[in-house]
Amino acid sequence: MGAQSGSKVMTTREAVSRFVKDGDSLITGNYNESMPTSLIYEIIRQGRRGLTYYSQSGSFDGEFLVFGGCVDKMVSAFIYKWGGSQRGGIIEQYQRAGKLQIEDYTNFTYNARLAAGAYGYSYMPVLPAIMDSDVFKYRSFMGDKKFGTTTCPFTGKTIPVVPAANPDVCVLHVQRADKNGNAQHWGGLGSTVHACLASRTIIVTCEELVEYDVIRSSPHHTIVPGFRVSAVIEEPYGCHPFEIPGYRGLDTAMFSLINQAFKSDDTMQKYMDEWIYGLPSRAAYMKHYVEVFGQEMLNRYLARSFHSAPANYGIPFQSGWDHNGIANDLGVDMQGLEKLIAEKGEIVDVK
Amino acid sequence: MLSKQITRQEMLVIAAARQIQNGDVAILGIGLPIIAGAVAKKTHAPEAVLMMESGICDFEPRVLPMHVADASATRGYGYATDLFSVFTTITHAGYLDKAFLGVGQIDKFGNINTSYLGTPPDAQRISAAGGAPEFYAYAKKSILTMKGGQFVEKLPYITSPGYLGGGNEREASGRYTPGSGPSVLLTSKGIFKFHEQTKEMYLDALFPGVTVERVKKDIPWDLKVAETLGSFPIPTDEEIHALREFSPRASFSSPVAVQLVFENFKRKMAAAKQAVLRN
Repeated sequence: MGAQSGSKVMTTREAVSRFVKDGDSLITGNYNESMPTSLIYEIIRQGRRGLTYYSQSGSFDGEFLVFGGCVDKMVSAFIYKWGGSQRGGIIEQYQRAGKLQIEDYTNFTYNARLAAGAYGYSYMPVLPAIMDSDVFKYRSFMGDKKFGTTTCPFTGKTIPVVPAANPDVCVLHVQRADKNGNAQHWGGLGSTVHACLASRTIIVTCEELVEYDVIRSSPHHTIVPGFRVSAVIEEPYGCHPFEIPGYRGLDTAMFSLINQAFKSDDTMQKYMDEWIYGLPSRAAYMKHYVEVFGQEMLNRYLARSFHSAPANYGIPFQSGWDHNGIANDLGVDMQGLEKLIAEKGEIVDVK
Repeated sequence: MLSKQITRQEMLVIAAARQIQNGDVAILGIGLPIIAGAVAKKTHAPEAVLMMESGICDFEPRVLPMHVADASATRGYGYATDLFSVFTTITHAGYLDKAFLGVGQIDKFGNINTSYLGTPPDAQRISAAGGAPEFYAYAKKSILTMKGGQFVEKLPYITSPGYLGGGNEREASGRYTPGSGPSVLLTSKGIFKFHEQTKEMYLDALFPGVTVERVKKDIPWDLKVAETLGSFPIPTDEEIHALREFSPRASFSSPVAVQLVFENFKRKMAAAKQAVLRN
């Protein structure tokens, strides 16, 4: 899979339509910050069904996907009590009602499954204390395959292991990418890189689409190489109301509104009707935001720049010849080289 | 010396902050731990290496983070790594001095439940495991804080194993960093420690105005009490200033803080509506 023929640059709607199928396993690359909400909202709008959702962090992305009817199963390391300690979030309610199966892991064991998937291993050793935890003991839909144990051939010790995870689709939002899909992100990474590289198809939204030259001058920020990416979308505010370093902070005004939405099924439906189903694109969403909250509110969350020191990747020579036209290793000019070839080369007669 | 009025919540944060020593490598979770870390870093522990599990290492707390990958913590941090590396190269490899963990339910040997109030999948959730089990297993020392949690005789679900059945059990299993485990539990009623041999929790210090009888009311087993009870640390002006500068809402209980934040949100929304109408 990965690279398709033709341009990878497309709209969010087209990317979801082409690459996210009913019954897929889906993962968000981002770990809380820069959450790819535009892609997630589009998946909800297009009404995908039967997804297995890998959700590490317990933010509202999973809550909306579940309420939108998209998800049957989840693999998770954290569930936040949206809706308060009694009511709980949508995920908790659906789990308790038997409408959603959840396999609980810890942050590390969840990540270890993705690392195994990314490296092409079938399993990954995890840390032995987990065997004393009920996270190890209680099993949902994965049953015997949630954890296993093996014996270290060198120490003879029993080691708990987790199976590799290779989600069908990873959705990711980053600061910048080029048209080939080289995606650059900086900030709290969590398990982002393993989530992406373990997945079969990767869809990237970015704040800015940049030239390849920008990528080549800052390769240390590239977290996914273009050859692994299937679709790239220039989608400013593609992670709103989550923050993204260098662009915006977390929009606490919108988070307050979302918090309110968790009070009842009615308020949740109303929120999703207004902010997801009723707005066909991220541009429409942001326009509506400004209508409701005002431009001043939006500007309040803009980042004040704090630039990274440029990394100098300079090298002395740009080819096998120095800047005076002398071959670095032979110490001759081009004429000298041809003379050497005539004298010492194994000349082949091709005439 | 303290010249200002202080709150119960502030006392608890400062008690937690005092657990961080200068130079400690410490992992901080969202909420009280991160506020305690911010205060420690600004006062007595400027060389502490503070980390969050998303791979944000050696950061400078400026603004209260809402989650462990919060961008406010990535302005001017020293080491950008990832979650897998935090758990392996730092934690499991033995370089994590202190872990700060929140408690949902705890038993007398420091085993912790943060997952379910019964048997999954039907039981009500507390939340889930997050990073707690591995940090608790491999940090050299763990500092526990509990707000609104419960002491229970038998946990319905063990998320993060502490001293297991007590005594030598944790050490003998060979599954944990030697000498690790909870060193202290801080609540707004007292400070609890764990007996060196039996590993059973005991009351070590009382919160101002709280009696031993009041503490015992929350605890379903016969709680042991230190022969000489210590006292809660009294904050300094410097600590209180550092705390309020970092997170003004941290002076209040959670419900009051949420209410105050929501009232501010409503005021902001009303002002925004006015501005939208004007344009």
